Amino acid sequence: MLAIRFHGRGGQGAKTASRILGTAAFLEGFVAQDSPIYGAERRGAPVAAFTRIAREPIRERGIVAHPNLVVVADASLIGDPAARVLQGVGEKTVVFVNSPLSAEQFRAETSLPGRLTTLDLTEIVVQHFGKRGAISALLGAVAGRLVGLRQGSIHEAIARELAELGLATSDIERNQAVAHQSYETVQPVAIETGVPQPIVPAQLQAPMYEPPTRGTARISAAANSVLRETGGWRTFRPVLVPDKCNGCWLCFVYCPDGVISMTKDDKPVIDYDHCKGCQICVHECPTDALVAEREKGGGVAWRAK
Amino acid sequence: MAGEMMTGNLAAAWGARLSAVDYIPAFPITPQTEIVEALAKWCESGVMAARFVTMDSEHSMMTAAGAAAATGARVFTATSSQGLLYAMEVLYSISGWRAPLVLVNVSRALASPITLEPDHNDVLAARDSGFLQIHAETCQEVLDSILIAYRIAEDERVMLPVIVNLDGFYLSFTREPVILPAPEQVAQFLPPFRPAHLGFKASAPHALGVAVLGGTPYSYFRHQMHLAAMNALDVHSETAAAFERLFGRRYDVVEGYRLDDAEDVLVMTNAFASRGKVAVDAARAEGRRVGLLRLRMIRPWPADAIRGALRSRRAVAVLDQNLAPGQGGILFQEIAACLYHEALRPRALCSFIGGLGGKNLSEGEFRTIFEQTAEAGVREKGIGPVLLYTEAEHREMTQLQMLAAAPGS
Repeated sequence: MLAIRFHGRGGQGAKTASRILGTAAFLEGFVAQDSPIYGAERRGAPVAAFTRIAREPIRERGIVAHPNLVVVADASLIGDPAARVLQGVGEKTVVFVNSPLSAEQFRAETSLPGRLTTLDLTEIVVQHFGKRGAISALLGAVAGRLVGLRQGSIHEAIARELAELGLATSDIERNQAVAHQSYETVQPVAIETGVPQPIVPAQLQAPMYEPPTRGTARISAAANSVLRETGGWRTFRPVLVPDKCNGCWLCFVYCPDGVISMTKDDKPVIDYDHCKGCQICVHECPTDALVAEREKGGGVAWRAK
Repeated sequence: MAGEMMTGNLAAAWGARLSAVDYIPAFPITPQTEIVEALAKWCESGVMAARFVTMDSEHSMMTAAGAAAATGARVFTATSSQGLLYAMEVLYSISGWRAPLVLVNVSRALASPITLEPDHNDVLAARDSGFLQIHAETCQEVLDSILIAYRIAEDERVMLPVIVNLDGFYLSFTREPVILPAPEQVAQFLPPFRPAHLGFKASAPHALGVAVLGGTPYSYFRHQMHLAAMNALDVHSETAAAFERLFGRRYDVVEGYRLDDAEDVLVMTNAFASRGKVAVDAARAEGRRVGLLRLRMIRPWPADAIRGALRSRRAVAVLDQNLAPGQGGILFQEIAACLYHEALRPRALCSFIGGLGGKNLSEGEFRTIFEQTAEAGVREKGIGPVLLYTEAEHREMTQLQMLAAAPGS
């Protein structure tokens, strides 16, 4: 059995990628299983999805703890402990990262274990669509290539899964085109199915009773959300072009996270430690004074403190 | 005889009044309405200082009750049957907040078909909600149990809400003498509510019942509720001792009646246990060595006390005034589970289903229970579930079916 784990941010398409891969494997006659896990649905929040491919019925369920392949849709997730990108990643695990850096450059910047391959999927999408968008088809195609599925089945799987999401035929075809390009371009790394992990009995602990101040699901630390710097969620950042700003305050009003403050002369100031990069301000700005710029480098732009 | 004549409902209202509650969100439902009517009257007249608020449903009522308790107020409310079910999801939230309010449930069988009379499928539907449960046999016990419930609920070792249950009609509308404890003594028994983990202060906000993902914190907090509920067994024992010192009345988690030399034991709960005791006396008068075990505390489940009372008996009959379709009697399952590891467990365990929808439990039915249980003990093989439903009753039933049928069908 091959176990593939996708990591993305809400809206990037990690879940759909896991389904494209599952459907493609199914179309080739394998037994497949795919499933996502996510918290309260928020654009930008860490999301994981899992695909298992086998020749025999699959009796595993839920999270993939020991992946053969990890597909990372957003390099900033690697530095976010909550995303657990590196869980179960060993020397033999193949890791794909969506990044403009080469595998060598990326390895030099991070101390990522596993056997690395990279490709700048975000750039491919920006080139073809002229804006950022979900990269599910590309992630599915890359994963399909790395596990050795045929391009034809990926093509068909993209059609099925994106039609399920209600995409128009023309949009599906454009996704198939960029997926094709990703499939052809990604540098393959052979996947090895490693020796089974030894199983150690869990060391159980019986918690003692604690007074309700500790034993109740209760948060007393006020205003602690400031400590959770969500700036690392961005793949794109809103940037002000001061000359174009008419001082209308609409960006301030629309910002769902309250990270835009206004100066005395009516110019927005963005708190990049907490801006999640939703681009609603860019969308709402009537004078195009806010533009979306891709986070630089493509490596780890941010780390949890 | 000492005391005053009052219904179980009025006794419940007095329990809230003597507990000096701060807040009463209310919604009426038969057979509970008299409780909230009495409290409304007292709050209106000023003899009670509580804030009384009528709500638009039991769901809102329980939400308001839990939210108020989370601010540190002492809260009382009451419902029944469909109302309890309508409030059900909120029960789980309130226990998770560890907000120790007291809810009186006046048992009434659940629809459908709809009825007004009691059985215990309503209150037992809440058995896994994290609310503790005390089931009362008499009007006096209703009042006393509310005082005891607040003291247990508000103990730092517990901090869980409590349901005090009484049977509709058989207690709710039944008058009998009830001794009213003196308010000064109640104040001595029940100190002011000053929870460390609850309260409302604008300068120190806190969030309760926060979202947790991944299962680990959820497991921890749910397990804490289990430990808190289990702590209530010891806290009940201390509380019962303090109550007895002040008021002279003794309550335990279970009550044994003529158990000393009993070969066979009948297990019951709530108001019909009084009739069960009469039936025990009648059977004893004819030389049958039988006794009765009344379960007073249902949550936490007093497994040790139950084992202690039932070990070495020849046969045990559990009379469930409830029916879990596809399973049988709810309490029978729990009794059976807690006797499994008992080496000296009874040789036969019998399940009887009776008193559904308020159907009377007759002397004849009790006699049948004792006879069948004794036979099961001799055979060393349990029986049931046996429905307590007679030939005469079935003739009435057939008449009703004839009347309900379309002509010619």
